[in-house]
Amino acid sequence: MAKVIGIDLGTTFSAVAVMEAGEPVVIPNAEGSRITPSVVAVSKGGERLVGQVARRQAITNPENTIFSIKRLMGRRFDEPSVAYDVKWLPYKIVKAANGDVRLVMGGKEYSPPELSAMILQKLKADAEAYLGDKVTEAVITVPAYFNDSQRQATKDAGQVAGLKVLRIINEPTAASLAYGLDKKKDETIAVYDLGGGTFDISILELGEGTFHVKSTSGDTHLGGDDFDQKVINWLVGEFKKDQGIDLSQDKMALQRLREAAEKAKCELSTVQQTEVNLPFITADASGPKHLNITLTRAKLEQLVMELVEKTLGPCKQALADATKTVEQVDEVVLVGGQTRMPLVQQKVKEFFGKEPHRGVNPDEVVAIGAAIQAGVLKGEVSDVLLLDVTPLTLGIETLGGVATPLIQRNTTIPTAKSQTFSTAADNQSSVEIHVLQGERPMATDNRTLGLFILDGVLPAPRGMPQIEVAFDIDANGILNVRAHDKGTGREQKITITASSGLSKGEVEKMQRDAEAHAAEDAKHKEEVETKNAADNLAYNAEKTLRENKDKIADDLNKEVETKIAEVRSALGGSDMEAIRRTMQELSDAMQKLGKAVYGQQQPPPEGGQPPPSGEEPPGKEDEGTVEGEFREV
Amino acid sequence: MSQEGQTGREKREIIEVESIESLREALTQERARAGGLLANWQRAQADFINYKRRSEQEKEETSNLAKSALVLSLLPVLDDLERALASVPPRLTKHPWVDGISIINRKFRAILAALGVSPVKALGEPFDPNLHEAALHEKGKAGIVIRELLKGYSFAGKVIRPAKVVVGSGEGEDKEASASSRP
Repeated sequence: MAKVIGIDLGTTFSAVAVMEAGEPVVIPNAEGSRITPSVVAVSKGGERLVGQVARRQAITNPENTIFSIKRLMGRRFDEPSVAYDVKWLPYKIVKAANGDVRLVMGGKEYSPPELSAMILQKLKADAEAYLGDKVTEAVITVPAYFNDSQRQATKDAGQVAGLKVLRIINEPTAASLAYGLDKKKDETIAVYDLGGGTFDISILELGEGTFHVKSTSGDTHLGGDDFDQKVINWLVGEFKKDQGIDLSQDKMALQRLREAAEKAKCELSTVQQTEVNLPFITADASGPKHLNITLTRAKLEQLVMELVEKTLGPCKQALADATKTVEQVDEVVLVGGQTRMPLVQQKVKEFFGKEPHRGVNPDEVVAIGAAIQAGVLKGEVSDVLLLDVTPLTLGIETLGGVATPLIQRNTTIPTAKSQTFSTAADNQSSVEIHVLQGERPMATDNRTLGLFILDGVLPAPRGMPQIEVAFDIDANGILNVRAHDKGTGREQKITITASSGLSKGEVEKMQRDAEAHAAEDAKHKEEVETKNAADNLAYNAEKTLRENKDKIADDLNKEVETKIAEVRSALGGSDMEAIRRTMQELSDAMQKLGKAVYGQQQPPPEGGQPPPSGEEPPGKEDEGTVEGEFREV
Repeated sequence: MSQEGQTGREKREIIEVESIESLREALTQERARAGGLLANWQRAQADFINYKRRSEQEKEETSNLAKSALVLSLLPVLDDLERALASVPPRLTKHPWVDGISIINRKFRAILAALGVSPVKALGEPFDPNLHEAALHEKGKAGIVIRELLKGYSFAGKVIRPAKVVVGSGEGEDKEASASSRP
């Protein structure tokens, strides 16, 4: 079934995302990267190159490597911005017969949409490879300030690439969608987009579920690259001071410096200082020279402060154009890699007076928003498909009043789980299924959802019968609990409707209670488990004694009997120490019994003791899936 | 069980009174609804199958991805080692200490080779953007890598780092070289 993808067709980079199981997922390209350079080229050999590979050969082939196509989309040749771009772009831009822009690549003329289509084609192909499914439709984003002609050009590009463009949406709107802001009431949203080369601020108004762009402003030549340049300049300056050499004239050194500067800038978003370490950066008559300079976050912030402050002017302008005051802005969204810098986040917070939204990867937030829009258009995010979760753990009561979970809280429904249990006492003829809801380890602290009995259990030693308990919740939250005796085939069940559950407030209270009581609950549970273990130990000891009575001396017999009695009497009280002590004493007595019984046989051959056969460790039944036992009704 | 039976009986009585037309209408509606539900189910199933397949693929790739990320982060050290060895002062080339560094370099490269990391062929080769990144365009044989600024490496069939190279522009080969030589 064909998927609709969301595409952020950027000036320097593009990204693609898609909805999967209700969540937006960014799709990596064929090279494994989540962003693709918006570059197309024709090699000297006539081969078409798109993306990273096109970028890598740009310097050897500048006239046939086309980048920043976005700047020319939907424009007429005679527009002033085109005249400006013609001056600095290394490839040829010509006028078409109808006055539109044409670019020359590999000796042929192309319209900007045709070139953008090549990028979209690669994104489409990579998405299909990743999804294992055809992709025929897309939602593509554009800057909020794009006019009709520019939007149409983007739509055309999609068509040429074989994509039906379901919608063109604004980049700041996509960013708002990514943060789920469309679910809020009528609000004013400021989207602060500081990318690699450009800065855009947009003021949006959310009304009746639709976003309207009230104003936009920005700086088309202000971005992360400028921040890098400040660091490079500083490094060159420091090196000159230190070693008397001007690295800015050394092309090779500049390459390394650029990379190192960007790396240091990124690192300083998470640490307070970093070392820029470039050994053998250059050499002179006296030998090789090394660059080893420490850059602190404080110093970096000093270096770039004026750049960050430069973004505030357009913010003020955008607010004025939208006739809004700073106080009237309800939400602030951050877009673009450079917004990762703590200084940027801090200045934005100071300016708007509120904490900006920033959980989503700022390089991907626009693509993610486009994917969400794509999902909505396709009806994938419709109510019918929204699945619920069970808010509290569901389980049954087992031996000792313990609450044994069957379905953990926050499990998506519909779901089913079954587990096999057994009886707690010999000849137990029925089992009681006490259905519980809650997080506490002890049954009494949880809420009873229902109670029923399965009888007709055949007489058998405890732990032998196999009672399968199955929990089944349907999409409406109705719980069916069924108990099935695997031996007799008898079964009993109960249906619990959602309305017999709890309200949201009650759910939260139960969760809080569980957390508050966690320590004492754990202790209580441990006590119960110890008691169960002691009970098991006594039971098995009695059994063993019965079977081996005639093999051991009378006084040992007496000793074991006494120890068993002591455990039973300790179990009658609540002195945990006494229980543990008597358990240990009984264990020791059983060891003696074992020694006595085996002592009558031949000593084992040389080579060590063989493992005891048939001996069950105290307190454990070899039943596989049996987790707990029902107490006798 | 008993509750459903009662509702069933009531329904039957009502239907007998209604006309064939409304039955047909109801059928059309139900068909449409069922079609929608089936489509949703198919979509969810398809999503799941694709996700599973991708999960399996990613599991296999994860180990390689982790390894290549680790190798990538260590490569700058190897680069610097090689830079160090490339600029040994002439009077020290025979010094045993320099030999020691040389041996360390070889050791590092051997470890990488054992991991399956191999250097990308660059120097003297025709420039290939799948393997190389052109950092500079200078006088030299056209389209050939005339200098390596940074070694490239591939691992598990993928180029994890392209070689950063200087590509010949063809100038200097040509008897009538153009006046401006800025790339």
